[in-house]
Amino acid sequence: MNRIRLTVVALATASAFAAPALGAQGVAVSGISDSRARVAVEREIAQAASRGLPVRPLIAKAQEGVTKRATGERIRVAVAAQARRLEQAREHLAPSPSEAEIVAGADALAVGVPAPMLRQVRAAYPAGQSVAMPLDVLTELVARRVPPDRALEQITDLMRRGATPTQIAGLGASVQADVAAGLTPDAALEVRARGVMSLLPAPTAASALAPRGTRP
Amino acid sequence: MTEFERDPIIDRVRDTLRGAPKATPDQRAVARVLQTVWESPRPSVWQRWLGAWRLPAVSALGAGAVAVAALALGFVSRGAVSPEGEAAPMAATSAPTGEYPVAQPAAYDAESVRVPTQFVFENAGAAQVALVGDFNEWKEDATPLVKLPNGLWTTTVPLSPGRHVYAFLVDGTLLVADPRAPKAGDEDYGREGSVVMVFDR
Repeated sequence: MNRIRLTVVALATASAFAAPALGAQGVAVSGISDSRARVAVEREIAQAASRGLPVRPLIAKAQEGVTKRATGERIRVAVAAQARRLEQAREHLAPSPSEAEIVAGADALAVGVPAPMLRQVRAAYPAGQSVAMPLDVLTELVARRVPPDRALEQITDLMRRGATPTQIAGLGASVQADVAAGLTPDAALEVRARGVMSLLPAPTAASALAPRGTRP
Repeated sequence: MTEFERDPIIDRVRDTLRGAPKATPDQRAVARVLQTVWESPRPSVWQRWLGAWRLPAVSALGAGAVAVAALALGFVSRGAVSPEGEAAPMAATSAPTGEYPVAQPAAYDAESVRVPTQFVFENAGAAQVALVGDFNEWKEDATPLVKLPNGLWTTTVPLSPGRHVYAFLVDGTLLVADPRAPKAGDEDYGREGSVVMVFDR
């Protein structure tokens, strides 16, 4: 009987201390030694969450700063910037982007893809089909110094012609390898896009009339 | 002949299995198993510690009373223990309320596929190497690499298709980009990483 009482007391005491910790679990960021900076980072994440933004990429951004030994203030600034990119991406990928699409859109913005281009990528696939992969490839091409207009045009052309996300990903990987081998990014994209295009059915009248990306 | 081999049931099972055609491993199934293992939370030190305890048996009514009392005490103390400024962010873990809803991916679609992806790092002098990246939320202890006798370090992780940024953490302090992969700029922290494009072939 004494052991039961002891257990009850232990459980109650443990819960008294555990409840605040459990409540904090959603936005807790470990590893920032400066407690004031940590609270500021957690507040940034919480504010973003209250606006309906996905929390996981923000926690990852904060953790990235911890691993890269950034100061607490720099982590806070980076998290705030990521939150702005996520919000912008969500807006331009409306009406109902998945978390993966929002994150891919934010990554695209981070490398310098203009925000309105996200809308053009979204429009190139039927509603409901994820554009996360095309956005990732767009990001990678722009990161390899392909002009954003040019990259957008090639990717949305392929999407409208019915290229699958896997085919578009293959394009991105091939361009990566070609650039590593010494080809210019523009030339690599040109030749690889041609290769994927040759595997696709001829354009229909409807797809030919569809709105196209801005030409350089 | 061992005790097991003499068992008639075991004999029947063995004969049945011997007659069955050889199974070919399904790469997608392997990827799903890897994904499940990858995503399943590892028991923490506390979970292992609590699992080692054997609590005395308590009746259902007693357990219910304990749970109610513990919860009540927990919530009352939360208001008393947590400073106001820190409590506010915790409330933000509620469901999204924004104008644009975040759609949940379907049970099986391109976004839920995981592709086993191998990483290799050469540093014979390192005592430990870890893989950090957007796929493991840059956690330093999440993905250690295994050292091979030839001095190479390697690990294989199931990744979602798409573009991933990563780096290697050497001996817990030195963050280095993968010399075998394209570089990824870093506007936020100014530390260059590497990029891998993953896709489901």
